[in-house]
Amino acid sequence: MDEPALIHSAQRGDLDSFNTLVLAYQDILFNTALRILGDEDQAADATQEAFLSAFRGINSFRGGSFKAWLLRTVTNACYDELRRRKRRPTTPLEPDTGDGDEMDSPRWLADPSLTPEQRNEADELEHAIQHCLENLPVEFRAVVVMADIQGLDYVEVAASVRVPLGTVKSRLARARLRLRECLQGFSELLPASFRLHEEKPT
Amino acid sequence: MNFRDVELLSVYLDGQLNPSDSARLESRLASDPQLRAVMDDLRSARGLLRKLPQRRAPRNFTLTPRMAGLKAPEPRAYPAFRFVTALATLLLIVSFAVNGLTPFAARHLAAAPAPAYGMGGGGGPETAPQESPAATLAPFAATLPTETPGVITSLAPLPTQAADLSQQPTVEPYAKGFAPGSNNGQPARVQNEAPIPFVWQVALGIIVLICGAAAWLIRFNNERKVRKQWDKK
Repeated sequence: MDEPALIHSAQRGDLDSFNTLVLAYQDILFNTALRILGDEDQAADATQEAFLSAFRGINSFRGGSFKAWLLRTVTNACYDELRRRKRRPTTPLEPDTGDGDEMDSPRWLADPSLTPEQRNEADELEHAIQHCLENLPVEFRAVVVMADIQGLDYVEVAASVRVPLGTVKSRLARARLRLRECLQGFSELLPASFRLHEEKPT
Repeated sequence: MNFRDVELLSVYLDGQLNPSDSARLESRLASDPQLRAVMDDLRSARGLLRKLPQRRAPRNFTLTPRMAGLKAPEPRAYPAFRFVTALATLLLIVSFAVNGLTPFAARHLAAAPAPAYGMGGGGGPETAPQESPAATLAPFAATLPTETPGVITSLAPLPTQAADLSQQPTVEPYAKGFAPGSNNGQPARVQNEAPIPFVWQVALGIIVLICGAAAWLIRFNNERKVRKQWDKK
């Protein structure tokens, strides 16, 4: 894929070129939105919204990392979604166990390549991590999702969330600390290597 | 240990710390078990996040032309029809304006000498104030029959002529021209003096209608055709 050529064509209004870029980046954007929002439907909406606004504003892209630029659009779409959610809180339609509690392993987290037991454990761990992510302030969450889940370097993260490099470092350190504290509450789900320092003072 | 240390550890984990700070931190790590434990915690947290499975997008997020708000490209003939319609409309408006303003302009020119008396014109006859109505009626003079005795004899009086008329004592009964019976019971006929003939205006109107309709039809059909193609994709 000749990304610069596709971007150039898209900037001249060629929708087919832009759609080629959409197909290349849609998984990354969707995963980012999913980890920030924690809801598949809302993540899909935010992803679609991000691609729409990216096409409309593609002429404002002046080079650099296109991935970081796209991630900024999806982060903005997620912030909008979170603001909407704050104004109109909704009840999640996740399955419950029958006695009023939500099931720990809703179907949307399932990975078909694992045995039922492994899947159960993986689902629960993933759910625990998602729970801890959602407990982070949204600006910390966006940074940790970009750096640790999407594997962006600091410069790309700074470009994606439009904050200085020093702020990225600080937010990332705080986010990792808070995640560690939160995940220790799910120690029975964590791999052995993660539990080694569970009791050590920090 | 403070937060600055935690931040240094986090940056060190990502390999983003400069060599001199890295060396200093490594020596501290070797001697400080608490610092080492924190670094292991951070590494573990980061490792867990990196192990999170990447999910496939539940559907394709490609944009359709309709979603992107794209417009159908203009057909080649459309700009020509649009230009002709706009030009003809402009000419039509100008023609109406010219024809509509001409009588006012003529009346204004005819009335122009009248205020001269009151503006240091050297003083006219004492009857001047009574005579001004005749001046304001100058355009109507053209409509009066020439045989009306002692009233107005020219069809298109110039301002000076109007002034001359106003100075004649016989002008006083100017209303005679409008009095029933003074024209032998015949209504005054208005002459068509429009600078732009009515036929031209009709022709321009027809051009506007035909070219406007053609432009709209061309565009409408083109959009329908393009949208069908988009929907097929």
